[in-house]
Amino acid sequence: MATFIATYDFLFVSMVLAAVLALTLYLPLMAGQLSVASPGFYALGGYIAAILSTKVFHPAPGLYPVRLVLVEMALGALVSGVLGLVVGIPALRLRGIFLALATIAFVQILGVVALNLDVTGGAIGIFGIPQPFSNQLQYLWIALPLLALSMLFVARLERTRTGRALIALREDELAAAAMGVNPTYHKVLAFTLSAMLAGAVGAVSAHFINTWNSRQGTFDTSVNLMAFVLVGGSRTFVGPVIGALILTALPEALRGVADVGGIPPWLAQFLRDGRLIIFGVLIAVGTVFFPHGLITPALLRRLGGRRRASAR
Amino acid sequence: MSAAPAPAPGAADLLAVDAVTCRFGGVVAVNEVSFAVARGELFGLIGPNGAGKTTLFNLITGLTAPTAGRLRYRGDDITGLPPHRVAERGIARTFQNVRLFGELSALDNVMIARHVRTHSGLVGGVLGMGSARREERETRDQATALLALVGLGDRFDESARNFPYGDQRRLEIARALALEPELLLLDEPAAGMNPAEKRALSDLIRSVRARLSLTILLIEHHVPLVMDLCDRIAVLNFGQLIALGAPAAVQKDPAVIEAYLGDEA
Repeated sequence: MATFIATYDFLFVSMVLAAVLALTLYLPLMAGQLSVASPGFYALGGYIAAILSTKVFHPAPGLYPVRLVLVEMALGALVSGVLGLVVGIPALRLRGIFLALATIAFVQILGVVALNLDVTGGAIGIFGIPQPFSNQLQYLWIALPLLALSMLFVARLERTRTGRALIALREDELAAAAMGVNPTYHKVLAFTLSAMLAGAVGAVSAHFINTWNSRQGTFDTSVNLMAFVLVGGSRTFVGPVIGALILTALPEALRGVADVGGIPPWLAQFLRDGRLIIFGVLIAVGTVFFPHGLITPALLRRLGGRRRASAR
Repeated sequence: MSAAPAPAPGAADLLAVDAVTCRFGGVVAVNEVSFAVARGELFGLIGPNGAGKTTLFNLITGLTAPTAGRLRYRGDDITGLPPHRVAERGIARTFQNVRLFGELSALDNVMIARHVRTHSGLVGGVLGMGSARREERETRDQATALLALVGLGDRFDESARNFPYGDQRRLEIARALALEPELLLLDEPAAGMNPAEKRALSDLIRSVRARLSLTILLIEHHVPLVMDLCDRIAVLNFGQLIALGAPAAVQKDPAVIEAYLGDEA
């Protein structure tokens, strides 16, 4: 068991951080807005943490203080939130696929800017980002509470006046406006919250990955996040979280299966190297058989009902 | 009639439509229409298909901006306000082609419409602070009461899309009432209902009007229902206002008979 955990420590933390990032896609989606801008804010948060920890803060030798990581996360969230507000107000005038395209462009622009600035280390990026923990598994001390708090936040949000306004916009923007919901305000709010969360994840990820460059938070990440939501389900926050956990673990799980003895060498080879093919097929099959994702509100209601019934 | 001078904004008028025109490209959907709805009145809007009735509703509620003319509500100019600002001022509506939040429960549909009458912010709501929690409870109680008022009290938990058509229309009325409107716009509320449901709907409209001292603007194709309910009726044809007055008088108007009531007169 210990070796299992030690072998997969990087994976566990990656899964949890991916789940939080999946929630950053879910927040604007709650208001019916498909935005894939969060990798941009994730990259921004990462650069803020990388620059602060390598060039600004000069902590004593030894482990990097966790409280400074938390400060970087807060700053990452703040700066991303402000940028989210600035980008969101014009971008959210666009609808549907046009908003998605605009946010893809935003991610690309941030990537190019990072590639060409000195402060971000250009193409090389920033490396040797100090470690707050003696092993990677301990990053769960930050990642798990972050995921728990984000999930709690979204779960509670769905049952508040603001959350209902977001969901009303998703269901029918015109009817929501006729009921007094200000569409622009609520869309920008969801977008900004998403940006803040992505910035915070980026800040902790920079430490976790140890190096940060313009290959972090690119369009590839956008596609991954969409896959998380597509597979997990977009109508409840549980969906993206489950989707992220499964799809992040899947490649490693396949590799694990390939290493088990007794399977033909060609199959083992395929499981090891054909991961992207399997990934793609799963997404295609998933959308055919689970068009609303694995986790739907109806499914959660059924599970909840059974639990209540058995409690009686 | 269409060239008639705008009615003087009397103190009793809740809504004044003043020479409002709406053009879509070359089509004039509403052509210099003027009328005023008095406070407490039940005002009917009838006319053949494509006469511009729903466009007029969209103009009043801010979904469409008029090409020309002014709209006044309680004496204030509301021309060109976005829909949510119009709703804030106390104008609620239903839609001809029912626009409920289909995936959500009946209760959530009604609770959403309490938006402008509640004030909890993001932080207070998520942290579950005392005032937000109290407001949430009140919102739920009010929504439950409204569902009971329209006769859907026992099915608050069902998804709106699973309701039969007539019930969806009543749910839409409950949702509109949750806004605590002073002016309620009903766009063909009886469409798709059988005679018994239509009678029940008439009773419902009468009772909520009396109980909530509402002013109601009603679009309806079912002429007996309009004649029976309304204090005054305006008739639109091809975007023009061709008649305005008491039901009995409008029914005898030769222009109306020609345009609309032809075979029934």
